Amino acid sequence: MTRTYRRHVGVFAVVAMVGATLAVGVGNAASAKTLAGTTINVAIAYPAPPKATLAKFTKQTGIKVNWSYIQWDDLQTKIAAAAEANTYFADVTDVDWSKVGEYYQTKWFLPLNKYFSPKSIASQYPQLSSFVRNGTLMGMPMDVSLLVTTVNKADFSRAGITTMPTTLTKYTSDLQLIAKKGIVAHPLDIPFSAAEGLSTYWYEVTAAMGGQVLSSSYAPLFTSKSSPGYKALAWMVNAYKTGLVPKANLGYEDYQGFETDMAHNLTASVFSDYAGDLGTIYQVPSQSKVVSDVEYIPTPGTTGLASNLANPDGIGIPAKAKHVAAAVQFIKWMEEPANQAAFAGATGSANVISTFPLPSNVGGLNQLAASGKVPGGAALVNLVEHHSRSVFPAGAPPWYPAFSNAVYTNIHSVVAGSESVASAISAIASEIASLKS
Amino acid sequence: MVAPLVVFIGALAIYPTVLTVIEAFFHNDPLTPPNHFVGLGNFRGIFSNPQVVSAFENTGWYVLFGVALTVAFGTSIAILLQKKFRGRGIVLAIMILPWALPGVVEGVIWSWIYDPTFGLLNSLLKSLHFLSQYQIFVGTRQLESIFLISLVQVWQITPLAALLILASLQSIPAELYEAARVDGAGWWQVIRKVTLPLIRPGLAIATVEALVLSINIFDQVYVLNAGATTASSVMNTTYFITFQNLNFGQGYALSLLTTVVTVALSVGALKVLYRKVDF
Repeated sequence: MTRTYRRHVGVFAVVAMVGATLAVGVGNAASAKTLAGTTINVAIAYPAPPKATLAKFTKQTGIKVNWSYIQWDDLQTKIAAAAEANTYFADVTDVDWSKVGEYYQTKWFLPLNKYFSPKSIASQYPQLSSFVRNGTLMGMPMDVSLLVTTVNKADFSRAGITTMPTTLTKYTSDLQLIAKKGIVAHPLDIPFSAAEGLSTYWYEVTAAMGGQVLSSSYAPLFTSKSSPGYKALAWMVNAYKTGLVPKANLGYEDYQGFETDMAHNLTASVFSDYAGDLGTIYQVPSQSKVVSDVEYIPTPGTTGLASNLANPDGIGIPAKAKHVAAAVQFIKWMEEPANQAAFAGATGSANVISTFPLPSNVGGLNQLAASGKVPGGAALVNLVEHHSRSVFPAGAPPWYPAFSNAVYTNIHSVVAGSESVASAISAIASEIASLKS
Repeated sequence: MVAPLVVFIGALAIYPTVLTVIEAFFHNDPLTPPNHFVGLGNFRGIFSNPQVVSAFENTGWYVLFGVALTVAFGTSIAILLQKKFRGRGIVLAIMILPWALPGVVEGVIWSWIYDPTFGLLNSLLKSLHFLSQYQIFVGTRQLESIFLISLVQVWQITPLAALLILASLQSIPAELYEAARVDGAGWWQVIRKVTLPLIRPGLAIATVEALVLSINIFDQVYVLNAGATTASSVMNTTYFITFQNLNFGQGYALSLLTTVVTVALSVGALKVLYRKVDF
């Protein structure tokens, strides 16, 4: 071996060691550089971030992004159609919390454990468990969203209520008082149209009553009359039949309840609202008559404050994706706390993704809370960190869409007068038995 | 010369149809693999599903309301537009607008009209003292819901039906009307004995158009009725079974059945209504 050669080997060894040492730190950037020139297709149910924001990602990595904004329902159909046809659809797309069991079973999405360790990032992601099934990470949380209670404090105040209710009993009697005093004739918004928003409302009321609808083995927990699920359904139906809920809500979907009822002061409270509606609906003068009146309150429960169920959207990589490595880089970039905070409005409107609720991780949430630029932001961060939990702790069952269909069609039928609470409960439980078999 | 057309039709019509026919006899559910032949199992499955049975009944009503109203309104409008008058071109252009709108947009527009809180229909009926208080029109009563949703589709497809019938009307020689009047025929007799028999080709095509679109009604139901069984159509149920429940086998079977019913009813309607007309 010549001296020159040994020196070269030595230099190589040093470079290799330094490289190995720095691999973790600069791994993303290094691998990203090798992906320069790749173009990925991203299909998401959110409008694209500003061009300048995506340009930053391209500058960092050389990866170009074609962002397609597709409405949520349409997107789910496209994902299923492409997967069934075994064809390419996108490199990165939506993984809704409710689809996690389905995607785990069908293998339509790549597990992300290789790129993100669920155990090591769990403390940073409050709603990560919604995307994990049997230890497999099917998607990364793209945002944090949760079901929250909103009240029109001006209406409560006019009724002489100065302390916000902390129990469901007090909440109900306060609403009855508001109706009785004629401040708002039908003060509670529940969207009774046969759609997903009705199912999630039931889950949240069930959680407020201290329960959940399915066990960890997906057995129904709502068939007994004394169960929280049964009582929650009875409470919702009773609220409609006694006039607490506007009659028109039989045909209203969730967003109609927020935009038509609550934003126009036709109701005084939404028990199961979406985090972010304060900033995107109620405090927007062009679409709201209650701009400074609505606030988030901790959700009232049976004996005290209740849990707030997680309702997040995730992003994942379809099994037929063409550019997996570039897709992973993109997801990592999306997850950076500074970007998450910016998408939610921490750095002003220039970097916002329209309708984006809250950052997916603790770092982003803290930056958002510190910015003070999002209405009710600090209250929401508190709810996320202390009261949020998954709808299904073991992950959504694979047959969740069929289950949800049974939930909302039967609850709608009860309110429309075509069946009773008991028969609806029985029909939903029968559907579960059929789906499990 | 015809090769591109053959490829186009083959790829977009024949291949999917053949695939649908084959897959309708296979278990195809990604949640419970593998796919396997089940004979008529998918058909038995869909008919044992009360939601499908209810959807077929609802769709029967959609067809009845849709075809009757579209043909009646289409014929009436065509007869009114047959005579030339000032601004006829503008009326024709405005009339065709609903046809140009997507079904979802129409559903949203009519959801404002039917809205139980702010809706135009409630406001109108109350101001005319037909109602004492605002009503929920869509969602409670089956026939009322189906009729009102059907009306939205009729509003969309009537312009095309009117144009088809108008084209037939304009091909009738003026001498035939003159001869009828010379023979002492009144307005109604002219319509019944001259006009209607001679526009049968246009009527037949307009009827088949209304029939096919009514059987396949989807957007308006999706927007106005969501997932409720009250007024769900076969197409909506097919969508839920296929893309929500992921039971593609039953989805294929339901699609095949709907195709067969559509073709059979269309051929039947053509046989009854269509007559070749020579002047």
